[in-house]
Amino acid sequence: MRFIGRRLVFYVITLWAAVTINFFIPRLMPGDPVKALIAKNQGRISTDAMDSLYALFGLDEQVPLWQQYLDYWKTLLSGDLGTSFAYFPTPVSDLINQALPWTVGLVGVATIISFLIGTLIGTGIGWRRGTWADSLLPISTFFSAVPYFWLALIAIFVFSVTLGWFPASGSYDRSLVPGWSWEFVGSVIYYGTLPALTIVISSIAGWILGMRNMVVTVSSEDYVTVAQAKGLSERAVRTGYAARNAVLPQVSSFALSLGFIVGGTLIMEMVFSYQGIGFMLFNAVNAKDYPLMQGCFLVITLAVLVANILADFVYAALDPRTRQEG
Amino acid sequence: MRKSILAAGAIVVAAGLAFTGCSAGGGGGGDSSNKVLTIGMPNGPQAPNQNPLATGSASLSLGYAYVVYESLMQINELHPTDEPTPWLAESVEWNDDSTQAIITARDGVKWSDGEDFTADDIAYSIQLRKDTPELNIDFPDQYGDISVDGNQVTVDFTTSQYVNRDKLYKLLIVPEHIWADVDPVQFTDDEMIGTGPYLLDQFTPQSVTMKPNPGYWGGQPKVGTLRYDTFNDNNGLTTALTTGEAQWGWTFIPDYENTFIAKDPEHFHQVAGGGFGVDVLYLNNETKPFDDPAFRQALNLVVDRAEISEKAGYGVWPQISNVTGLPQPSGDAYIAPEFDGAELEVDVDGAKQLLTDAGYTWDASDKLVDPDGTAVTFTLTNPAGWSDYLSALDIIKAGAEELGATATVEPAVQDTWFNDIIPFGNFQATLHWTDGGSTPWNLYSNIMDGASYVPLGETANWNFGRYQNDAVTQALAAFKGASDDATRAEAMQVIQDAFVNDAPGLVIWSRPAVAQYSTVNYTGFPSEDDPYANPQPTGPQAALILSKLEPTK
Repeated sequence: MRFIGRRLVFYVITLWAAVTINFFIPRLMPGDPVKALIAKNQGRISTDAMDSLYALFGLDEQVPLWQQYLDYWKTLLSGDLGTSFAYFPTPVSDLINQALPWTVGLVGVATIISFLIGTLIGTGIGWRRGTWADSLLPISTFFSAVPYFWLALIAIFVFSVTLGWFPASGSYDRSLVPGWSWEFVGSVIYYGTLPALTIVISSIAGWILGMRNMVVTVSSEDYVTVAQAKGLSERAVRTGYAARNAVLPQVSSFALSLGFIVGGTLIMEMVFSYQGIGFMLFNAVNAKDYPLMQGCFLVITLAVLVANILADFVYAALDPRTRQEG
Repeated sequence: MRKSILAAGAIVVAAGLAFTGCSAGGGGGGDSSNKVLTIGMPNGPQAPNQNPLATGSASLSLGYAYVVYESLMQINELHPTDEPTPWLAESVEWNDDSTQAIITARDGVKWSDGEDFTADDIAYSIQLRKDTPELNIDFPDQYGDISVDGNQVTVDFTTSQYVNRDKLYKLLIVPEHIWADVDPVQFTDDEMIGTGPYLLDQFTPQSVTMKPNPGYWGGQPKVGTLRYDTFNDNNGLTTALTTGEAQWGWTFIPDYENTFIAKDPEHFHQVAGGGFGVDVLYLNNETKPFDDPAFRQALNLVVDRAEISEKAGYGVWPQISNVTGLPQPSGDAYIAPEFDGAELEVDVDGAKQLLTDAGYTWDASDKLVDPDGTAVTFTLTNPAGWSDYLSALDIIKAGAEELGATATVEPAVQDTWFNDIIPFGNFQATLHWTDGGSTPWNLYSNIMDGASYVPLGETANWNFGRYQNDAVTQALAAFKGASDDATRAEAMQVIQDAFVNDAPGLVIWSRPAVAQYSTVNYTGFPSEDDPYANPQPTGPQAALILSKLEPTK
């Protein structure tokens, strides 16, 4: 119990620090949303409009920074993330609700697939080390070493442009209305296949490598030798004794990688024109849209924190040694 | 040229007559084609906000606000001196010094919910902007009394609005019976009750569809369904345009001849509208070497504008050829007689002669040395990543080197450029745009108006090059406030004399409204032969263009 309590205090302090940094960083950045908007339009919005735009975004009043900070906490605690400038007057929470499911859905599924397949392959290679299967390792590492955007562009070139199997951009057929129809769900899966595939290919090496090395280490442990001496089947020893122990570090890094799903997908979303939170954050930074930036950062921070907590507790539950004190 | 202007004018008038006829006769009864016209914009996923008055709302960003709500008049930016075409207003009469406009409302127009459109709606729409500074982007603090008498609305302004007349013509009119009860800033206008040719059918974050308004005063449009698709970036839209997935839109396509038009030369078109928007090389008039008019002049003579327009602008941005820096044909009517036909030409020898006369010399290695004995060097600055600007700077640099001056191109961080370099004058030369406007006033005022002069190191709003010339400042004020054409012509003469002889900044290329479209499904878009309107879908002219589109067989 004390373990959980200590961790919780730690996470509350981290959360406070994250929100505070999250508040100050955008305000320390040079530039303001009105100028960004005028610049984006390069002469199409007359500079006469500046005053009106400051008023529209609520930036016309000079409020001291500490007051803004207190107000920010106040609105945050009431569950309000403010109003976006770039998509005025839509609330930030609506925008995040609109973008987040796409990212979590696509990258989440891809991460799980990558983890499952990678761990399985890693077990296999680790168990039969020294065979032809070892050559899978350099191949997969090659794909993870290639910069992701390059890999994705090649995938688009080969599978969309040349072969025409998959669409090159977007997250569903634009002519469909989002809803729980088979047609729409099918379209989402069809459009998501290529991006998901590139994510799996570029991230699978880590899972294979981690699992293989642990299996190699574990398989020389005494309990594995004992299990084999007992005459258990090869398969039972591999899954029940070796893999089961080897998977521990995999689980914790899996939990951590879940946290990075939300934040780490900007490049994928840009290359595939996918409507997720990474791209939204990119737009928000370009438009100096503080409320939207803060909203996105907050969601990303929370996701990483929650994943950390999860990893902490899962690991503690799986491995009693981490709970011991002193 | 003259002939085609007349022809365009005749078509516009004919169209106007046809509409009046239709509304009197009670609907044209035309059939809409079942072909979809897809309009593409590179603006990313949208939030469901249809407010046609709040900058940044989905309806303004994608442009579908302009087919539901309409403006008072239609103007042709290519020929800004032409009389505007009546639209929701039968006429707009200005007093001599442009401080009062009398707007006559069109008869027989209905809102799409069946209510009558009246002069009260016009008055309300303008009063709304006066009362709500957040939405008043066109005439901040400039509205006076607004009153209604029968079907006429009288709008007073606190200052002369000669140079802003178009802004009044382009105001979108909203229904009082709906907007009076809502907070106009926060209103998301889910139903979109307007007078225009289309009704909102369905909104999704990536695509908005519109259906024809059966009660439209101008007769039922031929385009059966309009779809506004939004793409995450220019690449997405370029792909959609080249595959025909989107058939109308605007994005900067480098090498558009090969990338876009060559894919279907018969149907794919790119046309430039008009306007007075230009990009200017601002020269810092208060530091070396540009504090010397002779050197500014000399540089002006070696900047190869044809090459810049062709290579840096990929032919998308038209070349500036008149010495007054005015884009043509929009600016034709404003070119002072003495500069009519005076073309900008690269003239290295002439430039060297100018420099020699001003006391410049060349050292042993052919480097230019100014009269004080120091070598002439300067830096050209623009944000990194603005590739068209940076390529233009490279060509300017090459020109300067022909004179023996050493120029370097230095990319800056975009935010630094915006916040430190441009406003404080921390540059020697940098490219920046000017406001468009409907007369050359904005162009010249943005470059050389002493009224916006501030010393180096203080925040300048325009006149970044710190040019000071009292005669020009007075002439700019006179042009804006004048009540007759003669005074304006006189003022323009003074301004252009100073612009040509002093070269306070160099106009590099014009930046008109450009659009791409495909004539596979519909024809009748503005073209080079018939430039009847700004060709982009995101403006009040969308209603006019849609009225002219015909389905292909």
